[in-house]
Amino acid sequence: MIKKGIHSVFLFLFCFQTFSQSKNDSLAVNFHLEFNKLPFELNKKYVSANNDTLVVETFRCYISNIQIQYEDKSVFIQKNSYHLLDSDNPKSFQIPITKKSYKLISKIIFNIGIDSLTNTSGALSGDLDPIKGMYWAWQSGYINMKIEGRSSSCITRKNEFQFHIGGYLQPYYAMRKMKFDWDKKADDDIYIGIDLYPFFSNLELKETNSVMIPGKDAMKLANYITKMFYSQ
Amino acid sequence: MKFNWKHILAIGIVLVGFGFSNQTTTPLYLDVPKGWPKPKYDFEKNPLTEEGFQLGRNLFYDPILSRDNTISCQSCHLQQTGFTHVDHQLSHGIEGKIGTRNSMALINLAWKKDFMWDGGVNNLEVQPINPITNPLEMDEKLENVIAKLQASEKYRTLFSKAFGDEKVTSQRLFKALAQFTVMLKSSNSKYDRVMRNEEQYNEREQRGYNLFKTNCASCHKEPLFTDDKFEKNGLTVDETLNDLGRMKISNKKEDYLRFKIPTLRNIQFTFPYMHDGRFKTLTEVVKHYNSLDHNKSLPKELAKPMNLSDNDRVDLVLFLTTLTDKEFLFDKRFSHPRE
Repeated sequence: MIKKGIHSVFLFLFCFQTFSQSKNDSLAVNFHLEFNKLPFELNKKYVSANNDTLVVETFRCYISNIQIQYEDKSVFIQKNSYHLLDSDNPKSFQIPITKKSYKLISKIIFNIGIDSLTNTSGALSGDLDPIKGMYWAWQSGYINMKIEGRSSSCITRKNEFQFHIGGYLQPYYAMRKMKFDWDKKADDDIYIGIDLYPFFSNLELKETNSVMIPGKDAMKLANYITKMFYSQ
Repeated sequence: MKFNWKHILAIGIVLVGFGFSNQTTTPLYLDVPKGWPKPKYDFEKNPLTEEGFQLGRNLFYDPILSRDNTISCQSCHLQQTGFTHVDHQLSHGIEGKIGTRNSMALINLAWKKDFMWDGGVNNLEVQPINPITNPLEMDEKLENVIAKLQASEKYRTLFSKAFGDEKVTSQRLFKALAQFTVMLKSSNSKYDRVMRNEEQYNEREQRGYNLFKTNCASCHKEPLFTDDKFEKNGLTVDETLNDLGRMKISNKKEDYLRFKIPTLRNIQFTFPYMHDGRFKTLTEVVKHYNSLDHNKSLPKELAKPMNLSDNDRVDLVLFLTTLTDKEFLFDKRFSHPRE
């Protein structure tokens, strides 16, 4: 009995060590979901700048083609870089990308959403599997960002609001490229905030509460979502 | 006979060899008929195999894809009628629910750039997501389809043969279905045999063909009998459906009431006609084009009145029936896997 106990302690320590080691080695991009600079909570009541009381029940977003540019002009481009951030799965907000180093990072570049080539590439897998609920059937293409919830300002069924922002055909190509100037060594993780507050500040939920197709409205929202991202 | 270790080793090697040969798949190719354009489908991303094709064929004919296991792809795409749903203006799906459009014929899909009457689907592989998840068609969730297939011994075996292991994923499901549907090639109608100088048109068929070339061929371009574009054809909007056509996808005003120009191959059997199935017979279709209101905004291809006589109309329809390809409609390779 005691022997067994000792074994499991060793096993535990061993696992802990390997886990922490791999975590220390890899450089990750960590996204922090927030509401007005405070950690975001699902189903919590928030008030927007426009005095809309609201609850967010779903937040999902594709981050793709992550690139790191270093001071020494070298560039790291992640292969098959398609990541779904999902508020139901907090781990999905941490994306390991490369090894840590002492090189100085000068720029972080990524896309919010999915590029047009990938949108026409047929059946895909992993985070791009249509089973993830981020794919339109009637009009092929990925939803770049999904924000759903309720607000008493919405005169809709169950006071729901639904934003499914996407579209890959010009002139309604809704993917957005983000570029952050950086001035830190690659020996610590990269932290990027996603703040829902500025998104809702741009809207009056009474007027705009359902955008679920590509087009002009989706393009407007795609511009708003770029304002949610900031470097920490 | 006495076995020694050498014999056993030899037998072992042979058995292992068999094991490996069972793992390998048989490559399959789509033959492009002489003079046809290059297919649009990207075979490099989904190399065809006999095993993938057979998996796709089983899936195509299996109602397991629908919520209550009653509707298969075949329900609206019957082989003998050019893989479409005949006799219904608008196709019906689960629990007898009626859709908003006439199902399209599945013919020569390898040459199509986009799919559906409005071209909303951009790749053959993602097309099945529509009927599977549409509440009026199969009304099923993709995750349920995957779970049902994973639980089925038959499909675990078929997936394993096609992809090397039993894992069912949506990507494998869609790639396999595409392997079957991309093979649905029709290229052996009387028209094709005439073009290959193996047969000859009679006088009236030839007259019909000449009329076709003058009046129809600019949009229904040979040899596929479609240019795969979207166009208006003078149909007034059905106010009970209010179908915008291509405009719903493109958001462009000029695409209002534009629909996909369908192939005319096997057109004799794919009735009713048009996106809403409003015409029952080819005679009605030809009459429609022959009596267009030329004040309306029509594409340049339809700007000139056809002025077909009664005899012309009969001959034109006669020509259209030479696009029937019995070999395709009754090809055992494409039929229900049990048959």
